Amino acid sequence: MIYEFRLPDIGEGLVEGEVVRWLVKEGDLLENDQPMVEIMTDKATVEISAPRGGRVARRLYAEGQSCPVGKVLIEIEMDTGPSEGPVPPAKGPAGQSPSDPTRSDALPAKAAAGGSGDGTPGTGVLATPATRKLARDAGVDIRAVSGTGPAGRVTSNDVELATRGASGAAKGPAPGARTIAEPGDVRVPFRGLRKKIAENMVRSKHTAAHFTYVEEIDCTELVLLRARVNQRLAGGGTGIKLSFLPFIVKATVAALEKFPQLNATLDEAAGEIVQRKQIHIGLATATEAGLLVPVVRDANPLSVVELAAEIERLAAVTRTGKAAREDLSGSTFTITSLGALGGVLASPIINYPEVAILGVHKISRRPAVIGDKIEIRDLMNLSISVDHRVVDGYDAARFVAEIKATLESPDRLGVS
Amino acid sequence: MADQKIRVEALVIGAGPGGYVAGIRLGQLKKKALVVERDKPGGICLNVGCIPSKALINAAKIYDKVRHGAEIGILSDNLRVDMAKMQAWKGDVVSKLTGGVRSLLKANGCDYRTGTARLTSPSTVEVIEKDGKTTVEADHIVIATGSRPIEISGFKFDGKRIVDSTGALDFATVPERFVVIGGGYIGIEIGTLYAKLGAHVTVVEALPNILAGNDPEIVQLVARKLKKLGVEVVTGAKAKSWAEKNGRAAVTVDVAGKEATFDADKVLVAVGRRPNSEGLGLEEVGVKIERGFVPVDRRCATNVPGIYAIGDVAGQPMLAHKASREAEVVAEVIAGHKAEFDVRCIPAVIFSDPEVATAGLTAEEAEKRGRKIKVGKFPFAALGRAIANADTDGFVKVVIDAASKEVLGIQVVGNGASDIIAEAALAIEMGALADDISLTIHAHPTLPEAIMEAAKASLGEAIHIQNR
Repeated sequence: MIYEFRLPDIGEGLVEGEVVRWLVKEGDLLENDQPMVEIMTDKATVEISAPRGGRVARRLYAEGQSCPVGKVLIEIEMDTGPSEGPVPPAKGPAGQSPSDPTRSDALPAKAAAGGSGDGTPGTGVLATPATRKLARDAGVDIRAVSGTGPAGRVTSNDVELATRGASGAAKGPAPGARTIAEPGDVRVPFRGLRKKIAENMVRSKHTAAHFTYVEEIDCTELVLLRARVNQRLAGGGTGIKLSFLPFIVKATVAALEKFPQLNATLDEAAGEIVQRKQIHIGLATATEAGLLVPVVRDANPLSVVELAAEIERLAAVTRTGKAAREDLSGSTFTITSLGALGGVLASPIINYPEVAILGVHKISRRPAVIGDKIEIRDLMNLSISVDHRVVDGYDAARFVAEIKATLESPDRLGVS
Repeated sequence: MADQKIRVEALVIGAGPGGYVAGIRLGQLKKKALVVERDKPGGICLNVGCIPSKALINAAKIYDKVRHGAEIGILSDNLRVDMAKMQAWKGDVVSKLTGGVRSLLKANGCDYRTGTARLTSPSTVEVIEKDGKTTVEADHIVIATGSRPIEISGFKFDGKRIVDSTGALDFATVPERFVVIGGGYIGIEIGTLYAKLGAHVTVVEALPNILAGNDPEIVQLVARKLKKLGVEVVTGAKAKSWAEKNGRAAVTVDVAGKEATFDADKVLVAVGRRPNSEGLGLEEVGVKIERGFVPVDRRCATNVPGIYAIGDVAGQPMLAHKASREAEVVAEVIAGHKAEFDVRCIPAVIFSDPEVATAGLTAEEAEKRGRKIKVGKFPFAALGRAIANADTDGFVKVVIDAASKEVLGIQVVGNGASDIIAEAALAIEMGALADDISLTIHAHPTLPEAIMEAAKASLGEAIHIQNR
C-alpha cells in the first residue's frame, strides 16, 4: 500500500516550500522518523522526517522545485503484505439461485474512491466516524493526516491540527461577511504569512486582557555612551557598529530577571502561570513578506556587544530567508521597535502566549526640565502592553521604571 | 382535480426506510421536500418485510418455547395457535409504525403524497395521483424505489398457491405442508416460523448449502436446528414446475439429475430481490442503469447531476439500515454539506433459529485480502446467561489484525445475536482494537459478555474458556 506524504504546514501559515535537498533516494528503506528532505519555507529551512517506515516509492518534486502545502511530496510503499486487489462487492445475505441476477458477486461494487477506506474494516485510516466527519467538513483528506493515537489512529486533535495547516485557503469568509467591490479595487490574496499574522493577532486580542502603559526615558547619557562605544569598536577594527537596540535589549533582560512575572505564559489548562527561567527575546521585524519575530535565545548572559552581534546575525538570516525554525520561534518576551520611524506612543499587541510586549519609539531631541532649567535632551518613549490577567499595572510600572533607571544610568549596562 | 404544477427543492420517490428517512432529514435541514409513494408509507420493510416478519417470528418463537417448556418446568395443555388473531395483531404492529412515518414527515415539515412518479426531464417528475396529475419541478430528485421479489419460470406468483414473501406473511391459516424455494435468509426465516407453528416445511435450495456466503460453522448450527424442527432441507435442487394435484400443489424438483415431487398447500418463492428501476423514466433522462441497479458514488449521486439513488435500487446489500444511512447522506449532500457514505461495515442479521448476525470481515475474507489475523471464539455454552436462557447453541467469533489488533470483523450465531451485533458494528466503525472491547466492562450476566470474551480470546486472555 502506498502512503502519500503531503507537505504539511510546517508553521507560520506556509503556502509552499522549496525542496532544498533530498536526504533519501527512490528505493531507499525508510525508518519511522528518519529525516527525508530539507524544505525551505519563506523564512526557514526545515528538515522533514518520515511519518512511518517503508520504502521510498517516488519523490514528486526535484531539488529546487516548490511543493505547495497539501500536495503529495513523496510516496512511501508500506510493507503491509501483498497489495490489495479490487474490492469485492459487499455481500448481502440474499440470493440463492445460481441464475439469480441479484447475486452479490454479479453486482457493480459501490464506488469506493476517496474517504477513509473501501468500506470495509482494516482499510484506509483508523479513525472514528466523528473524526472522519470532522475531516470531511474541514475539507481535509484524512488519509494525509498522520495519526498520533494507538496503532496510528487519527484523532480529532490530529485533524484539527491538519485543518489549521490547511487554513491558508481552506476556510471561507465568516458567515455574513460582505464584500463591496468597486472598479479599480485591488484584491490581495489573504493567506500565508498575512493570514497567520491575522490569526495570531486576533487570538491575542481575544484572549489577553491588554492594557498599555507609556513612560518617557531620558537617553542623553545613553546617546553619549553609544557614541563612545562605537568609536572604540571602530578603532578595534571589528566592523561592528551598535544601534540603540542591543542596549535596550540588555536593559530589558536585566529588568526581566528582577520581574519574572513578565517573562511568563499562562497555562490555563493547568491553572498555572509559568514563569520562564530562560529569557528569549523576540524582536518584531518588518520584512518584505510581512511581520516576523526572530529570537535572541538565552539572552540572559549576553553582553551588549554579543547581543548586537546576534541581532545582526538574525537580521541577515531573516532577510535572506535562511533563518532556521528556532531562530523564528520560542520567544518569551517580545520587543517591537520601529527604529527611526518610531512615533510617540503605541499600544502593541502582545505576542501571545507571552504576557507583555515592549514598544520602542524614536529618540528625539526635545526640551526637558532639568532642575529649574529647560534643557535640550535626547528623549524616548517606551510603550508596554501587558496581559492584565497575569500582570497588574503596578508591576508593569515598576518593570518599566527598572528599564528607565538602567537606560538613564547606562553604566549599569556593563559596557564602556 | 385539475392538473397541478408545483416546485420543490427535493423530490423523493419512494417512502421506504430510505425514502422516508431522506424526507425527514431534508425537513430537518429546512429543505422544501416532497416524498411520493405509490403504495403505503414505510415501504417493504414496515409493511410486508422486516417488521411483520419479526412480529410473526417472535410469536412463533414464544409458541415453540412454551410447547417445549417441559424441560424448564413449563407445562401446557391444549396449546393452540389462533392464526387470525396473530395476523390481526401483526397488522396493528404495522399500522402503528406506518402511521408514525406519516406523522414524523409532517412534524419535520416534509410533504407526502400517494402517487406514481415518472421523470420527464432531469428536473421534472410527473406524479399520477388518484384524482389528477401533478408536475413537480425539483432541484434534486432522490430515487428510493426499493426492490421486489424475483419470480422464477414455472412459478408465477398467484397469491394462492405460489406466493412471495409478502403473501407468505399473510397466511390466514398455518399451511399443513409448506415448500420454500430458496434457502437464503428470507426462505429460512419464514420456513422456520411456519415449522414452529406446526407446518411440515421443505426447503429447496439450488446451491450446496443454505445461507450461502455465511461461515460454514454458523450455517451448520442453523441446519442442525432446522432438522430438529423437522424441516426437510433439499440442497443442490432446482424447482422445475408445479401442478395442482389432489387439492395440493405438487412441486417438481430436479435433485442432482433426478426428479422428486413435494406436496404443498403453499409454495414460497424466495430466491432474491430485483431493484425497481424500470418505468420511472430514468434511462430516458440519461441515468445509467447496470444490471437493474442505479450506480451511485459515495454521495449517492448518479451520473446525472441532481439525480440521486439510495437503498436497494442503488445496489447491494439490500438492507433497510443501509438505505436509511444513505438517506441521511443524500439529504445532507442536497443541503450542501460535505457528507458521504463512509462506513467501515454494514451489519447483517438473519432471524433464523439460532439467529445469525455479522459485521465486518470473516476470517476467510480477511485472509483473502492478505491480512495476518487472529481469531477469538467464545461459545454460548460457556456463557452463564445463555445457559440460564436454556439456549446455548451459538458462539461469537472476533477476527482481529494480528499486528495492530484492530477488530476486522465479528460474527455471532445464537439467539440474541441480532441485538448484540450493535456493539460489534460500533467497535468496527470506531476502529476499536481488541483491547478496547476486552477492557470495556460488560454487564453480567448478559449475552454481550460473549463478545468481550471472544475479544479476550483473540488476545489469548479469555477467562471462561481454555485459551489455545
